Amino acid sequence: MADSSQLLTFFTAMDNQGGLVIKDAPKLDLDLYISNYTGRTRFERLFSIGQSSVVLCVDALKAAVTEAKRGKDVRRYREAWECIRVAAPNEPEAQFDQAWADKTEKANKLETHRLETELKGYKNNLVKESIRIGYRDLGEHLESIGDLTAANDNYTRMRPEASTHAHLFDWAKHAIGISLQKRDWSSIQSNINKMLSGSTGEEDLKVQQPYQKTVLGLANLHGEKFYDAAKCFLEVELSVCQQYSNIMSPNDMATYGGLLALASMDRSELQSRVLDSPSFRNYLELEPHIRKATSMFVNGRYSACLATLESYRADYLLDIHLSRHVKKIYSQIRSKCIVQYFIPFSCVTLDSLDKAFAKPGESLEAELITMIKSGALKARIDTVDKLLMAISTDRRAEMQANALEAAKNYEKEALERIRRMNIVAADLEVKGTARARAGLGGDQWFNETRRQMNQGEAASG
Amino acid sequence: MDQCAAVCLAFPPEDLLADNQTYHKAVGVHLTQLSKLLKESTTTLVTHGLQLLELMDPAVKSLSYLAVLHTLLIPSVSAPRDVVLEKLVVFLLSFDSRSLRYAGSHLLDILNLTPQLLPPSIAVQVLSEAILRIDPTGSMLTSTHTHLIKLAYTSNSIHPTLLQVIDKPIVFYPGMANQSDSDVVCDMSIPPPKYISKDSALTVVLKPAAVLEYDLTCGLIYCAQRDWAKAYAAFERVVTFPTREQGTSKIMVEAYKKWVLVSLLLKGKVTPTPSYTGPGANKVYETLGKQYTNIASLFESDGAQSLKEAVDADAALWREDGNMGLIREVLAAYQMWHVLNLRQVYTKISIPEIRQQTKSAQTGNILDKDEDIETLIQNMVASGMLDGITEKHDDGTKFLTFLPPSTALSEQQLAAELAQTATRLKNLQPVFKSTGERLGTSKEYVRHLVKDQRRGGDKDNDTMMGFDKQVDEEDLMGGITST
Repeated sequence: MADSSQLLTFFTAMDNQGGLVIKDAPKLDLDLYISNYTGRTRFERLFSIGQSSVVLCVDALKAAVTEAKRGKDVRRYREAWECIRVAAPNEPEAQFDQAWADKTEKANKLETHRLETELKGYKNNLVKESIRIGYRDLGEHLESIGDLTAANDNYTRMRPEASTHAHLFDWAKHAIGISLQKRDWSSIQSNINKMLSGSTGEEDLKVQQPYQKTVLGLANLHGEKFYDAAKCFLEVELSVCQQYSNIMSPNDMATYGGLLALASMDRSELQSRVLDSPSFRNYLELEPHIRKATSMFVNGRYSACLATLESYRADYLLDIHLSRHVKKIYSQIRSKCIVQYFIPFSCVTLDSLDKAFAKPGESLEAELITMIKSGALKARIDTVDKLLMAISTDRRAEMQANALEAAKNYEKEALERIRRMNIVAADLEVKGTARARAGLGGDQWFNETRRQMNQGEAASG
Repeated sequence: MDQCAAVCLAFPPEDLLADNQTYHKAVGVHLTQLSKLLKESTTTLVTHGLQLLELMDPAVKSLSYLAVLHTLLIPSVSAPRDVVLEKLVVFLLSFDSRSLRYAGSHLLDILNLTPQLLPPSIAVQVLSEAILRIDPTGSMLTSTHTHLIKLAYTSNSIHPTLLQVIDKPIVFYPGMANQSDSDVVCDMSIPPPKYISKDSALTVVLKPAAVLEYDLTCGLIYCAQRDWAKAYAAFERVVTFPTREQGTSKIMVEAYKKWVLVSLLLKGKVTPTPSYTGPGANKVYETLGKQYTNIASLFESDGAQSLKEAVDADAALWREDGNMGLIREVLAAYQMWHVLNLRQVYTKISIPEIRQQTKSAQTGNILDKDEDIETLIQNMVASGMLDGITEKHDDGTKFLTFLPPSTALSEQQLAAELAQTATRLKNLQPVFKSTGERLGTSKEYVRHLVKDQRRGGDKDNDTMMGFDKQVDEEDLMGGITST
């Protein structure tokens, strides 16, 4: 086990770089967790956990080093090694394996060269399909050695060579895979659209729907469009999702879908689209606490719902997709809870609200004020009697005020229109000159009139 | 002398001529005689002028009275000065506007001279009266308006009658094209532009700058009265003044700066300029009014300290623009608006909490004592800005209760309010009618109509829509978008 002082140095450095540091122990089991994934995302996940979780740091980094060495990406190995060197210098993984690095780099170069020559040959033969395969192979190789930009270039060249829908889908998935790794969320959206634009068959669309919804959901999640993202995740069929373990696991699907739905949907929608959804119910079985939290929310047990979610906060913070949004999602769920809690009442004591939502000894008032200011909570605070009062809107008064306002505006506008027409008719508009376009016109006559005014003043005084 | 008196007293005859045509003819005859008299016996008029004036009632024999007064005042005031000036005041306060429509140039001479002859406070009053006498609707801007407002503002003599004059919405301007002159001038039912024009010499043609300056000065006068709503409207008229080819006047920029500050005082925030503001003007406002919009955004935020710093940093600019007074008002209003905004969050809040939560922009800090807050709140309640009451809790802490927004009106009250607006709109009818007539007979519209008819029957029912389109092309509305 690594020395705690070394860990401290490592996390201080991480903290200084603006990284997330999570001290609480998560509930997840690292080996079990990572076995859900395949492909390059395994390293990404291990590495990010290693960089942020204090408890799992060394284990995760060790696993990351092993994972990197299993692949061909030397840069990744170096990154992982640099971290573990600081965090746990006594571990065997902290020794840099120069021999492996040299060997791999050499092999990579040879392979790249081989594929390039092959591709050149295909190009000379002018066979569309083999050119496409050539680009794909080269792209896949470059991706596996970590040269994402070059890989993306090769994938892009695949597209014109595509002759069937299946080819188009193949291209799009490769391109989106790169976008996911580069965290380029906006291009995912457009690539998905391109992918589906050509296809006409119902069958095709149906087969591609889960993939499309999955990546679109991720893109929306990162664009903070939580409601859209939740809808995407909720529509994915279970059986198919397991194919995309290089992107996310079914457990992730349950977590993302459930959390985002909680943050963005109202109670009836949660009931019908999450709890009663035949397809999503299967996902929820993988993450029972999400289902518990959702049904607690629907049943009005808000504090229990929040407590359940709170106990999983550390886990979600470690997820590469969720981590940056956890805070916002949680606060949205929380304020929704407060709003829902308040709906049946016209007046609630602040004490009872504190009891339900605040941490012991703290007051909810500041949070309530922010919510009222942002318009999320339609209520007013009475700090003297310590009450939260609902606003009772007087529709009649509102209507009357609107009617009078409209009448007033009509009159004002009528006058203004006539005035403007007459100004134009009298040829009195301020006209632009070359000088006016450069900056200001008319200061000459302004100064003139000012002078006149001064003279008038002198004369009258 | 007797002959002069005879001529002078000849019009109007005892049996008052109600019929416009007859009246018109009679005035014509009288005017010829009067001008002959003026030409031939100026000296007699000067020497016996006062006696003649004694003989006449200015409210009835206005034409003759004006003629005599004109000779006494121009080229120089005849002795005894005091008496002549007294006559001038009496005349301006009581003349008959119907007959004077025929003697515009003489009247205008006298009106233009008045500010130099009378002390400003009196001049402002009599000129305001005279303007309302000539045009009781006050809906037409004349050169006298512009002289009057300059005089009133520079001499700081704000008379209630002046406020009456500037309160009237101005919709007509001298020199409007396409005025048909078929009516006789003495017809009391014709709209003001028909008898106040360059031809009738009751006004001279104005330049855009004069019109802008009039509204700007109106705004300044309202500011002096601390009537922010009217000042806001006046500045807005300047800010949104119709422009062509990206034109922007410096007066408009000046007005924009004041408009921003007054908007803060009136509404506690700045709304974007109305949609019909000239696009070129908006761009200029953005660059030249940057410091002001910066102040506005600070005003809406919680940073009293930074508002104060921003104000202090640009002190020279405010002084140069002549806005130091408004800026001081803005600083004073800052805390009030923040107290008022607490209404959005609280129904009841204790005085010490208000003190902790709001800062004064004058010092950049919270107030020292709870009593100061209490005074502030009481002032706000007294001025009608805040709808609330301060009460004392059982344990001695004082607190403020925000009262709910005005309770519903009864059905009758609402109906009455709406009826009032309807009446005001009906009162606009003559304005609508004259504008409609003017536009309906304009060359462009007639040409359009002819073209439309030639095009054939398929668009027959579409003339109104076609007209709208035409208006868009012509940009007659100066950028107002149809609603």
